[in-house]
Amino acid sequence: MELHILEHSLKVASIEKEGIQICTHGLIKLAFLASKTRYVHSSPSRRQTCTLALDFKELPESEHISVAEATWLALNVVSGGGNASNSQPIGVTKIAKSVIAPLADHNISVFMLSTYQTDFILVRERDLPMVMHTLSSEFTLLRVVNGETVAAHHLGVTNGFVKPKLAPRPIIHPLSSPSNMFCVTSLDPDTLPSVATLLMDVMFYSGGSKESGAGGEDTSHIRFFSFSLIEGYISLVMDEQTTQRFPNNVLFTSASGELWKMVRIGGQPLGFDECGIVAQISEPLATADIPAYYISTFKFDHALVPEENIQSVIGALRSESNLA
Amino acid sequence: MSGSKSDILWSPHHPDRYVICDSELGLYRIGPAGCAELKAGTVPLSGETAATLLAINSDTPYMKCVAWYPKQEPECLLAVGQANGRVVLTSLGQSHNSACKELVGKEFVPKHARQCNTLAWNPVDSNLLAAGLDKHRADFSVLIWDISSKFSPEASVSAEKIRLSSSDLDPSLVVTKPLYDLGQNDACLSLCWLLRDPKLLLAGMHRNLAVFDLRNTSQKTFVNTKAIQGVTVDPHFPDRVASFFEGQVAIWDLRKFEKPVLTLTEQPKPLTKVAWCPTRTGLLATLTRDSNIIRLYDMQHTPTPIGDETEPTIIERSVQPCDGLIGTFAWHPSRQNRMVVVSATNRAMTDFTVFERISLAWSATTSLMWACGRHLYECAEDGPEGAQGLLEQDIATKMRQRAQSRYGHDTVQVWRNHLLAGGNDSQLKSLWFDLFYMKQCAEDAELKLQGNKQAIVYSGIKNIVKTSSGTTESRKCWSGSERQTEATRFHSEERGLALRLCGWMGRASDVDVEPFLRSLEQEREWERAAAVALFNLDIRRAIQILNRGAMAEKGDLNLNVVAMALSGYTDEKASLWREMCSSLRLQLNNPYLCVMFAFLTSEPGAYDGVLYESSVAVRDRVAFASMFLNDAQLPRYVDKLTNEMKEAGNLEGILLTGLTKDGVDLMESYVDRTGDVQTASFCMLKGSPGEVLKDPRVQCWIENYRNLLDAWRFWHKRAEFDIHRGKLDPTSKPLAQVFVSCNFCGKSISYSCAAMPHQGRGFSQYGVSGSPTKSKVTSCPGCRKPLPRCALCLMNMGTPVSSCAGTGKSDDKVDLTRENKLAQFNNWFTWCHNCRHGGHAGHMLSWFRDHTECPVSACTCRCMQLDTTGNLEPLDSS
Repeated sequence: MELHILEHSLKVASIEKEGIQICTHGLIKLAFLASKTRYVHSSPSRRQTCTLALDFKELPESEHISVAEATWLALNVVSGGGNASNSQPIGVTKIAKSVIAPLADHNISVFMLSTYQTDFILVRERDLPMVMHTLSSEFTLLRVVNGETVAAHHLGVTNGFVKPKLAPRPIIHPLSSPSNMFCVTSLDPDTLPSVATLLMDVMFYSGGSKESGAGGEDTSHIRFFSFSLIEGYISLVMDEQTTQRFPNNVLFTSASGELWKMVRIGGQPLGFDECGIVAQISEPLATADIPAYYISTFKFDHALVPEENIQSVIGALRSESNLA
Repeated sequence: MSGSKSDILWSPHHPDRYVICDSELGLYRIGPAGCAELKAGTVPLSGETAATLLAINSDTPYMKCVAWYPKQEPECLLAVGQANGRVVLTSLGQSHNSACKELVGKEFVPKHARQCNTLAWNPVDSNLLAAGLDKHRADFSVLIWDISSKFSPEASVSAEKIRLSSSDLDPSLVVTKPLYDLGQNDACLSLCWLLRDPKLLLAGMHRNLAVFDLRNTSQKTFVNTKAIQGVTVDPHFPDRVASFFEGQVAIWDLRKFEKPVLTLTEQPKPLTKVAWCPTRTGLLATLTRDSNIIRLYDMQHTPTPIGDETEPTIIERSVQPCDGLIGTFAWHPSRQNRMVVVSATNRAMTDFTVFERISLAWSATTSLMWACGRHLYECAEDGPEGAQGLLEQDIATKMRQRAQSRYGHDTVQVWRNHLLAGGNDSQLKSLWFDLFYMKQCAEDAELKLQGNKQAIVYSGIKNIVKTSSGTTESRKCWSGSERQTEATRFHSEERGLALRLCGWMGRASDVDVEPFLRSLEQEREWERAAAVALFNLDIRRAIQILNRGAMAEKGDLNLNVVAMALSGYTDEKASLWREMCSSLRLQLNNPYLCVMFAFLTSEPGAYDGVLYESSVAVRDRVAFASMFLNDAQLPRYVDKLTNEMKEAGNLEGILLTGLTKDGVDLMESYVDRTGDVQTASFCMLKGSPGEVLKDPRVQCWIENYRNLLDAWRFWHKRAEFDIHRGKLDPTSKPLAQVFVSCNFCGKSISYSCAAMPHQGRGFSQYGVSGSPTKSKVTSCPGCRKPLPRCALCLMNMGTPVSSCAGTGKSDDKVDLTRENKLAQFNNWFTWCHNCRHGGHAGHMLSWFRDHTECPVSACTCRCMQLDTTGNLEPLDSS
């Protein structure tokens, strides 16, 4: 297995609903006109827009924008061995045991970002030596420098050989699962111009009209939309109804037409310093062999699981939760 | 169709058909443009060809890539990769016949939709179609479909929980289970099957190039690189692969896959297509975006003589097939260097043939060769018999032939050199006779003349007549009659010398012209002999000669008529004879006959009719002048003639200038006119070794001639020339430049003997020269330590080489001297400057006739190959 450390430095920011209008121009530039080496990820959900951007200068300074101070680096697991025997489970589940759990054991906070194409694990830049030390035993560490992949030199930091505490990780944050179903999809970057207005509408404006009357739907219906453009690949997560608004044949729908249910983690904003949250969720899922997407945002984390597995997921997570 | 680039594909089996795909598929047939009226759908491609649109297929939306089924049957079956990852089989221009009916319309659907980037049919197992798709987090990006596989709904549904939407086509045509799936969690941007083995697939993945082996799909060879687009195998070298990234092309060797063998110079704009020419080895065509040129890279391995390292040399050039920007291009699969180019803007097509670079090579001799494409042309000069000998041969050819016939080397009968030169150049003939007479006089003068008189022989008539003194006048009678001539004849020592240099007189004492006349008669130069006789005031002899000429075999009977006219000579001023002769003589063709009458009819002392008759040889005119012009007229005439000759570069003028600075001036203009440095070198070497040879121009001619001989690989001739030169110009002999020094005392082994000739052994004893049988000394004369051993015979150097098979048996002593010389060379010291091993020259030569490596065991030095000229053969016989 190879672990690629990508060369981009990222910031995590959040924009209040009220601030969107002043940021729209910058956001659109980031989202649609970005050159392919940029990371843009925006998940407008409910009240805020979460943005990760390499070229953060595009956004104006405003009291509506809150930026997490840390700089993040993206890691990407590539199965370099070409091990083709098993395609399941996919997503976070696959790397839960090999990456997420060891990082959690070493108290390294991660920010997960699953896309249609792959999973990115964001770690803080200052944690990188520790990350490399932790993962070097299991992965070939490669660093991307100017587009060329080179072997990453080990930094020799051992953090005094802190023995990982192998304590069980109970789930400590409240979980909620909305009733609506989501679709993880992508589209051809060439067709982006034809759906750009639709995407802008969904991202910035359409949510607002329903906002006022939707106070009580927290548990039954979550508005969530995620758009990412990473190295030229577009990934979209939207609820089933939103897919109807797209023209035929633009979205890549899988042959099996699978749909996903969401589990939202956290009642209060989670912050960035707490570690082990992803591990708490992904380990039970990995044990149960359930594929999942996991998307962290500025405030909450979201896990997506196949609709037919939702009951077993809830069951598995409840049993882990100390609040159950 | 969303912004996909157009592409063009030649039919693998019909050399006249191709498909252009952009938003739809168009099948074209290419044909001659000669048809009078352009039919509908015919577009001109070039001056000679036009394309006819045969069929259009717009059934398949969202096309991303197309690949043409490689087998003959069913023809025109195309696989189209779509934006959503589906691969559809379709056909063009076929009535849906039985052959491909069951295949057309078949769809291959990946589990997760994403763009299909590339398609590649397996060239051998043509049921296999590889598709390269974009990345999906959990799916495979390289799917290999078996187009003959049947859909099995029950198995797939249960396994893959298919939820086909109602919009899908006939489910019996949809295949969802690929034969192989490779490259999980990766993106595939380009694919090609390796020609080395049909089970190997080369894929340009997201950040690496990977070779998948279908026999063991869990293994792959891969290399991390950015250059992952457009992988393509060189059809002529199955191990050579090109790929690109942005503007840079990388060339890979699959046998050494760790890094690119070479990367081509980066282009400012991203590349869009890279393709090996299928009809020409090592030719790679590349196209960048928004460009109106196709860049060609010609990669050829050139073996270098030093070492085994060979770097492919690349010649880069670009062609511009059409005016506008180029959208894409495709090489014709079988026509040499031909391609069709589609413009980026308006689908205009151009049929284009890339012309080969023309490489041209002169041989050491005059022939010329050039290669264009697969044709090789040789251009050799026509021999004298070819082209009716109308064209004069090139001077280089002439000099080469002359060098081979040892031109210039006859130092005794100097005049014979003009025969060696071919004997048909009057200037050369005159030159060599001049030199011959000069030599004769000089040798004679040594006996007769005193002091510095010898030098004056070579200083030319111009200088001789200037020193003329003590001229006596005489009025002789016409021989055989009492009538006195009007012409006054002048005599002096110098004039006599001039006549001898002109060849009219034999010896200094001998004033008889008779031997000269006889020799002219022998050479059948009747008119000239008659003129010479007449100028010597022997009119009867002249008439006699003309008669003889008329009667001789193939003689000109008109000479009798001339003789008759001559016999009527009268010195009566107002006679009819004089009047008619002076006017009619101009109509005579032969200049000598003409000047005879000019002489008879002119006033005494005014012989312009003779002196300025340019067709008469210079020597004859000068001889005439030195007989009949007085001391005032003669130098003036000679000066005038000299300047004329110098200006024209006429070698006859050497008679006047001699081998002086004037002579060099004259020769300079001759060389400027002809380029004949050979004659110039040989001629000037004859001169006194003083100033003439020091003239930089002369040195330049000599050096150039030597270089010329070297260039022709006439090394033996060069050596002969150097020997010849050394004899005539001792200062030109180079000093010894190479010495063999003793390993122990560091003294030169030959120098020490030469310096102390009386202390025993002479130089000959070291086997470097002298009789081989006597050479026994195998130690340094300075310190008495043994000389190194020959690597082959293991004897100390200095030991003579035992006569090799060829020389040993030679009982006949025909060429004993040469044999001896060869034997001496066999004894020479030779060693390699690289590995410092060596031995007897003879042994080394015979060793390297069959070997490439040094004879010393464990030494791998390729001594002989280090010597770039060591493998060349001389072109002249020794």
